[in-house]
Parts: sequence; C-alpha cells; structure tokens
Amino acid sequence: MSKIGLIISREYITRVRKKSFILMSFLGPLLIVGFVLLTAYLSSGEKEKYEILVVDESHLFDSILRNSTKYHLQWAPKDKSYSEVQELFKEDAELDLLVYLPINLIKTNFMTAKCLYKDIPSTGVQKHLSGIINEAIELYRVSYNKIDINTYKSIKTRINLDVVDIENEANKNIQRKAFIGIAFSMFIYLFIFIYSVQVMRGVIEEKTNRIVEIIISSVSTFELMMAKIIGVGLVGITQFIIWTSVTFIMSLTILPQIIPDKYNPASQIESDKISENITLIDPSNEILQFIIYEIQWPYLILFFILFFLGGYFLYSGLMAAIGAAVDEEADTQQFLLPLTIPMVFALMMAGKVIDDPSSSLSFWLSEIPFTSPIIMIVRIAMGIGDSSVEVWEIILSLFLLIIAFIFTTWLSSKIYRKGILSFGKKASYSEIIKWLRS
Amino acid sequence: MPSRNIIEIENLHKSYSGFKALNNIHLSIEKSKIFGLLGPNGAGKTTLIRIINQILTPDVGTVKFDGEILSRKHIHHIGYLPEERGLYKKMKVGEQAIYLAQLKGLSKKEAKEKLNYWFEKLGATNWWNKKIEDLSKGMAQKVQFITTVLHDPKVLILDEPLSGLDPVNSLMIKNEILELKKRKTSIILSTHDMNSVEEICDEAAIINHSEKIMQGGIQELKEKYQENSWTIKYRGNQMSFTNAVWGGWEIITHKKINENTNKAEIRLLNQFTINQFIKGIVDHVEIVDINLKTPTIQEVFIKATTNE
Repeated sequence: MSKIGLIISREYITRVRKKSFILMSFLGPLLIVGFVLLTAYLSSGEKEKYEILVVDESHLFDSILRNSTKYHLQWAPKDKSYSEVQELFKEDAELDLLVYLPINLIKTNFMTAKCLYKDIPSTGVQKHLSGIINEAIELYRVSYNKIDINTYKSIKTRINLDVVDIENEANKNIQRKAFIGIAFSMFIYLFIFIYSVQVMRGVIEEKTNRIVEIIISSVSTFELMMAKIIGVGLVGITQFIIWTSVTFIMSLTILPQIIPDKYNPASQIESDKISENITLIDPSNEILQFIIYEIQWPYLILFFILFFLGGYFLYSGLMAAIGAAVDEEADTQQFLLPLTIPMVFALMMAGKVIDDPSSSLSFWLSEIPFTSPIIMIVRIAMGIGDSSVEVWEIILSLFLLIIAFIFTTWLSSKIYRKGILSFGKKASYSEIIKWLRS
Repeated sequence: MPSRNIIEIENLHKSYSGFKALNNIHLSIEKSKIFGLLGPNGAGKTTLIRIINQILTPDVGTVKFDGEILSRKHIHHIGYLPEERGLYKKMKVGEQAIYLAQLKGLSKKEAKEKLNYWFEKLGATNWWNKKIEDLSKGMAQKVQFITTVLHDPKVLILDEPLSGLDPVNSLMIKNEILELKKRKTSIILSTHDMNSVEEICDEAAIINHSEKIMQGGIQELKEKYQENSWTIKYRGNQMSFTNAVWGGWEIITHKKINENTNKAEIRLLNQFTINQFIKGIVDHVEIVDINLKTPTIQEVFIKATTNE
C-alpha cells in the first residue's frame, strides 16, 4: 500500500472502530425514524378517543351530526341551560370537549359555534369538529330544500390543490419536498461540520503529541493533510451510507408494526371509504405516503454525497489549517467563527429559498461555494427541472465547489506546512498572512 | 569510490521570516560513528535535524547522504526520534509500531517480525495490545525507540533519547545505541546530557547562534580547551604546600582527604612549568599523585558557548 493509502486507512479504521462511531451509526437512524414517527404521531393527535358533550339549542342536529368512535358525541340534557351544562362539563372528568351550537346556527351563515375545552384540542380535532358541523348544516339544508341526497353527494367535493410543475408533472408537493430538502441541508451542515472538525482535531492531536514530525519525515505535509482529509471524509460517507441503509431497513420492518393501519396507504383508504362522503384525511398517513413514494431518494442521496464531499473538502482543508496554526483546541475559537458564519447564514436563508427556489438569491446562494452545499440540496429536493433548479445550475455549482476546494486546499496547505512545525504559540492572523506570503 | 561520510553538509543556510536559524554550516558525519550534536537551546540543532529529515528544505547549501544529494529515496534509511516524544495515545502499541514501520517502507510482515525481535529484546512483549495512554512514560519511550530503529536505518537521529528514563532503562538504551553502532549504524545524538556524550560519542559538533563553532573527536575537543591545570595529591601540611612556591600559579580548589593527605587543583600561570612547581614543593611536602587535568565535555561546551 502506498504511504498515502496507509495514512488514509489509519485515519479511517481508527475512527470507524470507535465506540462513538458505532453508537452513532445506529442512534442516528433511530433518531430519524423516531422523528418521523413523532411527527406522524403529533399530527394525528394525541388522544385515541374524545368524549364530546354537545349543546344543541335548535335540537336539529342530533340526527345529522356525524358520530364516530373516535369523536364520540353525547347530547346535553335538553332541560338544562347552557351555563348548567358548562358546570356539568367541568365536573365530569371523562368529558373532553363541550360543543355549543346556538339556536340560529343552522339557519344563518353568520353564527359561530363554540368549542370549550379543558386541554386544548389539536388543529386536527378542531378541523374535524368544524367539518362535521358544516356537513350537518349542509345535510339539513339539503333536506330542507328537498334536494336529492345523491345530487348533493355528487356536488360535494373536497379538493386538494396540487401545485404542479408544467414541465414535469410528477413534480408536485413542492413545498413539502422543500422540508425534506431542509432536513437534508441540516444533515449536510452537520456532516460537514462534524467531520471537518474531526480533521482539525486530528491535526491538533498529531501536532500536540509531536508524532507529526515522524510522519512528515516519511510523507510530505501536503500528502499528510490530504490523506487525513480523505480518510475522515470516507468515515463521513460510511456513516451516511449506514444511516441510510439502517433507516431504510427500519422503515420497512419497524414502521408497519408500530402503525400498521397508517403505514399502508391501501388499508387507510379502505377504512376511510367515502361511505361517509366527507372525511378528513389522516395527515400522518399523508406524510408517510409522501415520504415513501414522492421523494426521489436516489437523486437526493447521490447529490447529498456529492455536495457533502464538496463542502467537506472545502471546509476541512481550512479546518486542517486552523488545527496546524494552534497549539490546543481552546485556541481555535477565533478562527472557527468566520468559517461557521457562512454555513449558519445558509441555513438561515434556506427558508427564503423555499419561498422562491428560482429567485436570484436562491441561485447565488446555491452557486457560491461556501453556502452552496447547504442551499443546493434544498433546491434539488424541491425538484430538478425548471421549477426549482436546472441541471446546468447543479453542474456549475459542483464545478465552482471543486475550484474553490482546490484553491482553499492550496491556501490551507501553505498554512499547514508552516503551522504544523511551529510549537508553543498560537498563530495570530498577521502571522498566518506572513506564512501565506512566504 | 564509496563515501567515508554518511552525511556531508556544505554551506547550509536557513532563515525563518528574517531570523537566521542556520548560517553557513559545514559538517561531516563519519559512517558507523556516534556523533554528538551539541548546542544551547535555540542554537539551530532542531532545524538542522529537520533538514536532514527532509521536513524542512534549506535556503542555500547541500546535504549529501552517503555521497548522494539527499532526496526522498533516503527517507527509508533514516530513523528519527524527536525530542518531544509522541505517539497516537489511543492506538495500540503493536498496530502503531507496524504503521510507523510501514511508513518507513517495511512490509507488514517484515515489520511484525522485527517488532517481535525488538519487543523481546527490550522486554516489551506484553505491550502489543496495550494502548499508548496505558503505558508509563518510560515504557512509551521504549516503544518510540523501537519504532525509530525498526526499519534498520543507516542513520539514526536521536534527540535526547535518554531523557525521562530511569537509570536501568537509560543504561539499556545506551547499550542498544552502542550495539547499533557495532552493526554499522551511524548515529546522530542531539543531547544536553554531556555525560552520555562523553560515554558514547566518538565525535561531536557544537552549534551556537546558528553557526557551527567547533567539530572534532571527543578527545580532540577536550584538548582544544585544555588548560595548564593539574591535580596534585600530597602528604604534608597545607601551609607548607601553599607557601613553598611564590607566584606563577594559583589554587583552584583544595581538599583535605584525611589527616595528613590533601588534594589540590592548581593552575599554572604564564610560562611557569610543572617542573618548576614540583621543584619548589618537593622539599616541603611528599607528592603522592600528579595529573594534568583534562576538561570534561560539559566544561568544553560551557566555555565554547559562553566564550569564556
């Protein structure tokens, strides 16, 4: 094996053998799957069953207000006043909500129904309640106006607005895809940061324990720096591949067991059959369907790796230079700040990019190498094509990233070469500039 | 014709941002000898060692290795033990030694064989699977010594190889150095421990303020700083001794050995000879022993570097 190969393999093997690496390899996917499940759980509401007390002043709703096991309606005693019912509601611990339907609600369009709660209901519950009240009012009016119920059913619709790219019809749900992009940009940020800091730490370790003198008597400083960067980068890719594979396997094995009815879109449609005409689509199901079927995972993973590598090489060269310029990790702060600012700025700007992925702000942020890995992945997740990002933009961005990487590596190697043998003091900016000039 | 010298340095200059680290150094190091590289802190020794190790490149001048201009191909023939010891703390001893040997061009198999030999020799067989951080300082130093010599280098550069070692281990390493010399290894020993220079070095050079101020065999260096100083052991009265000869000498030290015997260290001044001195005292005291005092390397070093 060549010497560079030797160093790469040492950097790689010592890191992947660490307990922390093995732990993170499994903890990471658990966190991802857990996060998805949590989102699904939170968006589907916490409670399995709601006991709802209904005060129906008009006495017209009892036959038409849709009752269900999950949202179980009980009718308040007709002889009690609204305030008495409120007392009743307060005292009965089993009751979750009190729905007040004022007398004229069914006849006019201007009245407001009320929902009193002990613990605030989720937006899903609120949506359901307003849905069944509206439905009841409509059904009452259908019958009052002697409209054929089938005609009503045929008129009744519930529309979802799909925002679709004219050039690429498959590309819809662009805003949701953007959130996947944000998640990926967070991962890119984390991966770039974690692994380039590892390079910096490795350099500091070699410098402080002075083994660097022995190693650079066998290989050049540039070779050592590059081998370290490549070795640690491979660790990053390995971690990412493990994360994706484990997440994939977990999704296939664990998810169906935890939420079988929600996981399988077919069973969900079955259970929600339009027998009741109007249904609230379970959002958790929608999220899972979307995640499983609508994201172009192969592209996303490919570009994640490419942009992670580009960004990582760009930043890790600079981090190696920082590691070489200081004597201990505590001295790195003043140099780290200017490096993290562009990445944090990119993360902050990701929201703006989602709003308008084709804007010039989005374009520049995804082309400028210091922000491009984080921003471009958001645009790619929103769909490759005219709507978000064009292929040439991705190619240009990668090209610029490579150019920038070569430039910063050249710069870093100059600092590294001087810094690595300068012991006992931390370099100032002016000293680093002197090293660069020499 | 093969070169007599393993290292030849000519007209070497090196500066760091205006500071002259080495100035016009000429140095030759004979094969199969132990060469002491001496000098005060900051004199330029480390820079010189780094240039020989090709960690640094000189601004001007040439370095020849066994008659050839020093190049990357010679890396495998040099073993280097830096002053500030360092190994990867979390790595296991065996793994680390193999890694460093491979960097010096050995195959994994060769490295293992040689490592077994050295571990056994220095009583380190049980350390193979230990992490460096679990070893004592002395043990880690032994491991580092092993990693330095593992690839049988032609030139061994040892920077303070004995510092931090207990007397037993220090002796062990000293003996190993002498044995390596017997096996035709040329050794450059950079140290402030003048006793070990005296004990094991054949030649030495002193560098001060970036320049070589002297070079030669150990005896030769001592002779250069030889003064007309003598140690005299005598029986008799101290007063009789000091009053026997007037002028031309001075007492440096005087010590009573027992009731009737004394030992004095004297320096003869100007043209006053030892014969004249003996003639003067011989009627007053009984001379037991008389020796010309040779300076130690430590004294040579101090005189040379402080311009005394």
